[in-house]
Amino acid sequence: MRQHLRVLSLLAAAMLVLVACAGGDAVTTTAPTTDTTAAPTDTTETTEATTETTAGATTTSGAVAACDSSVGLVFDIGGRGDQSFNDSAAAGLERAADEMGITFTEASPNDDGSNRAELLQLAADASDIVLAIGFLFEGDAAAVGAENPEVSFAVVDSPMLDFTDNPEGVPYGDNIAGLVFSEEQGSFLVGAAAALKSTTGTIGFIGGVSGVGGLIEKFEAGYQAGAMAVNPDIEILSEYITAAPDFDGFNAPDRAREIALAMYDGGADIVYHAAGGSGAGLFEAASVASDTSGSKVWAIGVDSDQYNTADPAVQEFILTSMLKRVDVAVFEAIRAQCEGTFTAGPTAYDLSVDGVGYSTSGGFVDDITDQLEDFKAQIVSGDIVVPTEPS
Amino acid sequence: MNWEKLPAWLRWALYAAVGVFVLTVVQDFDETGSLTAAGSSQSMLRWAVPILLAGLGGLFSERAGVVNIGLEGMMILGTWFGAWGAVVYGPWWGIVLGMAAGAVGGLLHAIATVTFGVDHVISGVAINILAPGITRFLSSEVLTTLPGGSITQSPRVPGVGTFTLPILGGGSIGSWQTPDFFGWLAGREIFLISDIASIAKGLVTRISWVSLIALLLVPFTAWLLWRTRFGLRLRICGERPQAGEAQGINVYRFKYIGVVISGALSGLGGAFIASPELSGIYLEGQTTGRGFIGLAALIFGNWRPVGVLGGALLFGYPFGIGLRDLDGSASHSLILVNAIGLAAVAIWAATRGKRVDAVLALVLGLAAAAWYLTSDTLPDVWINILPFVIVLIVLVFFAQRLRAPAADGLRYRKGEN
Repeated sequence: MRQHLRVLSLLAAAMLVLVACAGGDAVTTTAPTTDTTAAPTDTTETTEATTETTAGATTTSGAVAACDSSVGLVFDIGGRGDQSFNDSAAAGLERAADEMGITFTEASPNDDGSNRAELLQLAADASDIVLAIGFLFEGDAAAVGAENPEVSFAVVDSPMLDFTDNPEGVPYGDNIAGLVFSEEQGSFLVGAAAALKSTTGTIGFIGGVSGVGGLIEKFEAGYQAGAMAVNPDIEILSEYITAAPDFDGFNAPDRAREIALAMYDGGADIVYHAAGGSGAGLFEAASVASDTSGSKVWAIGVDSDQYNTADPAVQEFILTSMLKRVDVAVFEAIRAQCEGTFTAGPTAYDLSVDGVGYSTSGGFVDDITDQLEDFKAQIVSGDIVVPTEPS
Repeated sequence: MNWEKLPAWLRWALYAAVGVFVLTVVQDFDETGSLTAAGSSQSMLRWAVPILLAGLGGLFSERAGVVNIGLEGMMILGTWFGAWGAVVYGPWWGIVLGMAAGAVGGLLHAIATVTFGVDHVISGVAINILAPGITRFLSSEVLTTLPGGSITQSPRVPGVGTFTLPILGGGSIGSWQTPDFFGWLAGREIFLISDIASIAKGLVTRISWVSLIALLLVPFTAWLLWRTRFGLRLRICGERPQAGEAQGINVYRFKYIGVVISGALSGLGGAFIASPELSGIYLEGQTTGRGFIGLAALIFGNWRPVGVLGGALLFGYPFGIGLRDLDGSASHSLILVNAIGLAAVAIWAATRGKRVDAVLALVLGLAAAAWYLTSDTLPDVWINILPFVIVLIVLVFFAQRLRAPAADGLRYRKGEN
């Protein structure tokens, strides 16, 4: 018996080590990745075949030239499959692979994000350009970028400017770029949509985490401004799930659900979220509140077209989504790298280049698209200047 | 009359009545209106259930003499298997699989601590580290193959459903829509009576079946551990295992049973977190330390089931209020409630001749009152901290009255003394 237990414990210990390795090794190479990375390693023997496939890819897209750059992409907390922010980045990466034939590797940090620097270094070792998805990478990307001057770094949602010596900000390095979005402009449009569609005159906003360089506040500011532009008397309920440096707010659907239920109880009939993975709780709440009150309430999604990614059971409650075209930014950054036009410092994606926008899936906003397009034209022309700080 | 001679449920019911009275007074004074709202008590229950289940889990384990720091890890296993089971096989299978996964975590803890005599805290910490690793690995292997799933999250998780109590809460029997007694009473705006009715209304309206099971587990646990032969044997393993051994009890076996039940209950708590009553999705890191808060509820409740329930509700309440409180006024009122509570502690300590305690409580109470008077809203940060502050206060003032099982956390070897 004693002997058996020894063996058993040894097995258990071995399992522990194995599982720990599996869990810690966050670089996940998905099936298509393995294929694309496998292709160039074979090039030494079958150069002709590879050239053929890349040539094929180029002809289908036409506009962009083939590129043999290797790209390393590190996701934000949540990783691939969050049906939002990260998936949008993945879409841009896959488009680059399809149209330009780049090869790529991807990684997801662990849930406290403590291994970000290591994952960036890992990606830098094997790539020409490293894309870091999310403002949380700012410090690590600046540090790892300085150690790898031959590799380009692009960080989504951070301007990647160093303000220590210069109040205007200078790029952290010649190889470090930031991809930023005018979220307030897209939020303005969904705020206008909410005000146009609201029957109660009360709408809500749920932010993920407050106080991270005003990032989420931009969403709130635009949403407020858009709603007020339609109805100056509208009441806007607003709450943030957590305050920085507690980033649980992007990962707490249960708390978003509770807040959303309180907003619906408080008379709101449309609630917009800028809370990443927590948004799933908002959609649940919309379904529950519609069910209990008997009158339909709406939710507005964020980052990607959440009507398409949400479960069919909650799809009908998603009025529209504020699109943040992370895919466009990722694709353009890779293209710039390929074409040798990579520029350090911030690149802005706003309404004028369709870097942000709103979705129409589900057809719930079809009756107001004229008004929304009108607002869009006014923002692009500069007639409306959307604030970036909530009033 | 000797206060301590009252049965536990009656004592706690009186505490609760006093608590509701204070909330009502503060609410009327502050005109916040949401402290005793049905929605608030509903959310209190929702947020208390995982804490209650983890706390009851800890109770079974520690009453058998094994400290279970690994509750959090077992809860994480419960969230993953609860979500996966519900998505693939249906909601009730999610509950069963979540419990089973937690039980396996408990079994691992039992093997390490009971059979091999590993330090209980070390084994528990190991499980807390192991569980997220296992779930991340399983997610990458299993969830990524499901539509809508990914390495960190599951597709939408279906729930076991809710029910509303007929007559009292306005539920229906068959096709008959019964009257809503509590709702009617709550609407009459009678001081205290309507507030109690409103809170009760939240506790009988649209309650998840899992919440009901969790609540019923409280009297069941009390009966099982204090009124049956099985319970006596399990408890002696936590108090004087050598005495049990002398009586011919297989102490190892009872410790195993206690720890495995412990894991199953925290697994159930985890499955509840993933269910649509709270999240409706498995998301990595979503337990956010609720297993540890369950442990705090266990200590707060003096290792007794009704006390654990009291602790869970006490921690769940400010959390739910903090989230539902859109303008920050209700959480602000809670500071006043805290000040009143500390004043009560000061008086209690003074009557017992504990001068240091009385002065400390008075100072803290005055600080809370001053804070209340000088501010209009409460920063969100404080709402997350509040449950832990309450535990600290309780431990500071009542630690001498708390009594853990005598052999809790000690290594037991058969035949040794």
